Amino acid sequence: MPAILTANEPVSVAADVRSGKYLTFQLGNEEFGIQVLKVREIMGIQEITAVPQTPGHVKGVINLRGKVVPVIDLRLKFGLPSAEYTQRTCIIVTQVPGESGLILIGVIVDGVSEVLNLAGSEIEDTPDFGEDVAAQYLLGMAKVKGKVKILLDIDKVLSAQDLRHLNTMLQ
Amino acid sequence: MSHPPELRQQIEDLALQSILGETAGAGTPAPEKWLAALQNIGSLARGAGAAELADMAQATMESLLRAEPGSTEAAANLQAGIAKLQSWLENVDQPPAAKPESLSQDPELLSDFLLEAREHLASLEAQVLTIERDPRNSEALHSVFRSFHTLKGLAGFLELWEIQKLAHEVETVLDQARNFQLTITPAAIDVILESADYLRRWLSHLELILQNQPSSAPARDENLLQRVAGLLSAPPSPAASPGLAELASAVEAGGPAAPAAPPQEPTADSPKRAEKMAVKVDTAKLDYLVDMAGEMVIAETMVRHDPELARLTHPRLHRNLQQLTRITSELQKTAMAMRLVPVGPLFQRMARLVRDLSRQCGKSVELETEGNEIELDRTIVEELADPLMHMVRNSMDHGIEPPAERQGLEKPANARLLLKAHHQAGQVVIEITDDGRGLNREKIVAKAIEKGLIAAGDQLPDKEVYDLIFAPGFSTAAQVTNVSGRGVGMDVVRRGIEKLRGRIEIQTQLGRGTTFLLKLPLTLAIIDGLVVGVGKERYIVPLFAVREMFRPKDDTIWTVQQRGEMALVRGTLLPVLRLYRRFGVMPRSENPLESVVVVAEAGSQRFCLLVDELIGKQEVVIKSLGETFRDTTGVAGGAILGDGRVGLILDLERLFKDKTGDAAR
Repeated sequence: MPAILTANEPVSVAADVRSGKYLTFQLGNEEFGIQVLKVREIMGIQEITAVPQTPGHVKGVINLRGKVVPVIDLRLKFGLPSAEYTQRTCIIVTQVPGESGLILIGVIVDGVSEVLNLAGSEIEDTPDFGEDVAAQYLLGMAKVKGKVKILLDIDKVLSAQDLRHLNTMLQ
Repeated sequence: MSHPPELRQQIEDLALQSILGETAGAGTPAPEKWLAALQNIGSLARGAGAAELADMAQATMESLLRAEPGSTEAAANLQAGIAKLQSWLENVDQPPAAKPESLSQDPELLSDFLLEAREHLASLEAQVLTIERDPRNSEALHSVFRSFHTLKGLAGFLELWEIQKLAHEVETVLDQARNFQLTITPAAIDVILESADYLRRWLSHLELILQNQPSSAPARDENLLQRVAGLLSAPPSPAASPGLAELASAVEAGGPAAPAAPPQEPTADSPKRAEKMAVKVDTAKLDYLVDMAGEMVIAETMVRHDPELARLTHPRLHRNLQQLTRITSELQKTAMAMRLVPVGPLFQRMARLVRDLSRQCGKSVELETEGNEIELDRTIVEELADPLMHMVRNSMDHGIEPPAERQGLEKPANARLLLKAHHQAGQVVIEITDDGRGLNREKIVAKAIEKGLIAAGDQLPDKEVYDLIFAPGFSTAAQVTNVSGRGVGMDVVRRGIEKLRGRIEIQTQLGRGTTFLLKLPLTLAIIDGLVVGVGKERYIVPLFAVREMFRPKDDTIWTVQQRGEMALVRGTLLPVLRLYRRFGVMPRSENPLESVVVVAEAGSQRFCLLVDELIGKQEVVIKSLGETFRDTTGVAGGAILGDGRVGLILDLERLFKDKTGDAAR
């Protein structure tokens, strides 16, 4: 949602741009959020066709109403131990920029929580974790009802090669 | 166009509701809720003057009403409709692109002009080259005049003054020429071609502007304009036949001699202008149609394979289903056929390149073409342009010898470059043949050792040696100034061809010449496949590569020292590839006696695939797996199978080549 600033608004651009609706979901003990505009569809876990010679977190592809969509396991991508898929496990189909245009990528998460409407004031910048560059993949942190949600920049997350150290950063 | 914030709010809420609705797993909530929301959006939109948006909402409502409540069709319609509303929002929010040119005409007029202009430029270039070879061809001269005349007119209408000015100047020159008031010298040919190039740069610039991309207009080329004007002031020659006059002025000016050989024959296959009735169709619409036809095939396959349907035995149902299958297949083929274009024009583009390069390199090369009418998918033809140009350039730079050397070898002074297209075994083969030096095995080996690609003692068969020229970093000496501005090694060429699911092969003879063979699929989209099962996985073997299938017996499979497993197939030993090992998949059985052997041929080599079972034959729509799986070898793409699962389409040539790379998983 592009923010339209006028001269009278001293609000920080960053916070304004990040405000909006987020879909929150769980991975292990953490709650994450991604912008709703990036979400195309949510579905329960279904059969995935494995593709050979792919990194561990790339699970394969699924048939999404005639389209072949790649699916990655976000736990594995972040370096968390893999978990068995349960009734709650979901695939969130996201739409992110690829090399030439937008592409669909599904991410497997432990469970989907809710949609939160976050105002700029509720979002804080990611604390400085030191040298770790992984912080650039986060839009910020939000505190809602006493719980902290980690807001992901899903574009960057899905285009990054190796995010396994994100896990250590979060603990 | 502004819109009230509540409109945006409503649309976003609707989007959210639909996403959440699906998560709840309770199926699509009662349609009334959606209809009410869409109704609301519609009236808000109409109130705000956003008629387009209102219409979209209306259309979505109607599609919902038509579908069964709670069905997947309804859900799909809803999603699609909401997506449209959302993207409308996004488009409206973008500030209009600042157009540096104040183009008073509408974009559609401009894009029509660009299309037409490019056609004119292509045609006039071919005709100019004809004039160069055959100065007596007045028909070509008239045609070039008409082209510039039309360009001038169109440009003027659209207020593209720079284009109009240059076109006008060249048109004047050509007018004088066709009235025998001046002669077209080789220098004149150069100027005319350069003018065409300048106009092309303008067209490219305008195209970028149309796409809202930054671009700066080409500066007026005063030098070029002067040279065009300079042609005009050439003294009028007596009304002798243009051919003689041209020779006369060439002698006077001491310029480069006109081609010493008698006027060349026209290319082997001059493109015949068959007057077919045709319509111009927006390619986006065409692509969409082809996509939809593909989706239809998938949907129809899934219906046909539905186990519920198998239980219904009424003959009428099955008859109708067969009819539906037949029609769907026809529709698919027709849609695909619309994407096919002949390669002729692509070959013609090479003519200009050959001409320019032969001047630059000081070599005399004649371009021949064959199979101009062979058709390929539009996208393939477009993507072929760059690789083809590189190979032509390579041929002319390194393959073909300078005239003096050729004479010494008792070869005809005019080197021959042949571009040929023909069908072979379900593929289209494009050959680039020159009668030049041929590949020098020793030199390649020496260079490869120097670059550390192979070791000094390696004994490699010829085929593998020639393959080395495709290795990254194997670029030969710096290219001569290139016409297109790009120039890289053969590895880029090969990757380009492989992106099209094609292959390059080399045939060469030292001293006699080289042929590059590009083997390309007919279409990027559909193949007949043999579906095989390995464990839980399903793979698709392209049917045109399958030679036979059988269940091995005790004495079929042998392990040969240092060669791995081989199978005895009617007296010949062929290598065996155990698919489960290659892909790291758990098979139903590792025992060949309980498996099936599929004999496949790829890249003129036969080998045996060991799989668990044969599932069946299916025509599949190829879906690219996307950039996520770029590094995966052995898989050419994915396809939706009859049961809705995704099957991986095997890339046989790769599979066989990387036989040794078994999966670690």
